[in-house]
Amino acid sequence: MAPKLEVEDLNAWFGTKQVLKNINIKIEENAVTAIIGPSGCGKTTFLRCLNRMHEINPDARVSGKVLFNGLNIYGNGVDPVMIRKKIGMVFQKPNPFPMMSIYDNVVAGLKLNGVRDKKSLDAVVRRSLELVNLWDEVKDDLNKSGASLSGGQQQRLCIARALAVEPEVLLMDEPCSALDPISTAKIEVLIRKLAKTYTIVIVTHNMQQAARVSDYTAFFYLGELIEYGPTKQIFENPKHELTEKYITGKFG
Amino acid sequence: MSRIIDSGLEELSAVLYKMGELAYHTVLIAIRECVESRDSYNEIREISDTLILMADYVEDKAFELIARFQPVASDLRTIKSYMKIAYDFVRFGRYALDVSHANQKLGGIRNCDKWIISHVKDMGEKVLSMVRLSIDSLKSRDPQLAEKVAQIENEVDKMYFDFLDELIERVDTTIKCAVSSVLIIRYLERIADHSAYVCESIIYITTGKRVILR
Ligand SMILES: Nc1ncnc2c1ncn2[C@@H]1O[C@H](COP(=O)(O)OP(=O)(O)OP(=O)(O)O)[C@@H](O)[C@H]1O
Ligand SMILES: [Mg+2]
Repeated sequence: MAPKLEVEDLNAWFGTKQVLKNINIKIEENAVTAIIGPSGCGKTTFLRCLNRMHEINPDARVSGKVLFNGLNIYGNGVDPVMIRKKIGMVFQKPNPFPMMSIYDNVVAGLKLNGVRDKKSLDAVVRRSLELVNLWDEVKDDLNKSGASLSGGQQQRLCIARALAVEPEVLLMDEPCSALDPISTAKIEVLIRKLAKTYTIVIVTHNMQQAARVSDYTAFFYLGELIEYGPTKQIFENPKHELTEKYITGKFG
Repeated sequence: MSRIIDSGLEELSAVLYKMGELAYHTVLIAIRECVESRDSYNEIREISDTLILMADYVEDKAFELIARFQPVASDLRTIKSYMKIAYDFVRFGRYALDVSHANQKLGGIRNCDKWIISHVKDMGEKVLSMVRLSIDSLKSRDPQLAEKVAQIENEVDKMYFDFLDELIERVDTTIKCAVSSVLIIRYLERIADHSAYVCESIIYITTGKRVILR
């Protein structure tokens, strides 16, 4: 099976500061890949390079290739908006649009793309909310504000919003770091469920979370990819001394 | 809500159930061999090797679950106990093979005095019922069922020592018969012990208490 995303010689800068150095990695389809590493090592930047969000920062620059289904997303004439639709993003802090209802939050992306038909929007809302196990909790309150939900529910709403536009890849940047343990467990179970149909890349500060939810783990350090492999191997028998030090907490 | 670790635990249980049935089968045919004319050595050896591989798998998977999920409380007790139980099942296979070895390579007891044959037969039945009880306790997670093994274990122990006492008195027994029968009786007694270990593990998993059923 060909990888879903294939990163080749990726470098990234903020101004003159290089924050990613020659990253090469193949991300498997329908699997969860976790990105771990100390603060500032470039995890978020890496994630944002995977769907061309890095370049939104005026200071930012990228070189190298990211092949998505074999197509270089940095190739000439590729529409970044299209890429961001196919490769969705979920952020650290749940960020539902506060002035919008739950319903409108889910279909915001679709409406932006001109979908107006009430029936199909209804269907998308239901399907997306069911997918994130939120439907039963909110089905009678679809017109309430998204901000009225608990943190964990808001995060699931944001995942539903990302799923509504039918992406193939979901990028998640510390999606649980603002959540309590129960909400975190719910999101983790959800991630495993989604991995059956989506390709997921998750950045997490929590190594245990990476160990629990991911199939593959990549360890970044100072902008470099130090080690990458099946999660079982990384956590039982890492090959690189830096990885061993980081995951056993012997760093610094 | 079912947790991510649950599918791993279920997979481990399923492997253990399979191991239990395979181990039971080896003990069953080894005991039959003692009194019937048949040769199950190769079959037992094959299953015994399979059990070793399966136990390695259980240990590996258990290790993975510990590394990935930091299990605590009943999850941790379950994983630790599963590794032990897998080893107990390996021992069933190994002692069954030893019994078969005595039968096939040392002459066995089929041509020995009636009292020896009947003693081995009785003890074999009891031991087999202990193996079954240990597997049933594992499947049902029933500590009360597991406790019942203690009673049979006592009886088996008594049979073991009674046999040795009697054998010493019977000066007319051939060396061949004495060697085979002592070995077989000893292996059966070891299988009984491991059945009790399995039951102790079930009680530990379900209640957290460490008991000794021997
Ligand atoms: N907008 C920005 N402008 C300039 N430098 C930045 C910017 N964002 C990040 N950086 C720098 O780029 C490097 C990588 O940052 P990044 O946010 O990718 O790290 P991270 O691994 O996600 O860290 P954390 O775990 O703290 O989220 C850091 O040295 C950081 O200071
Ligand atoms: Mg970050």
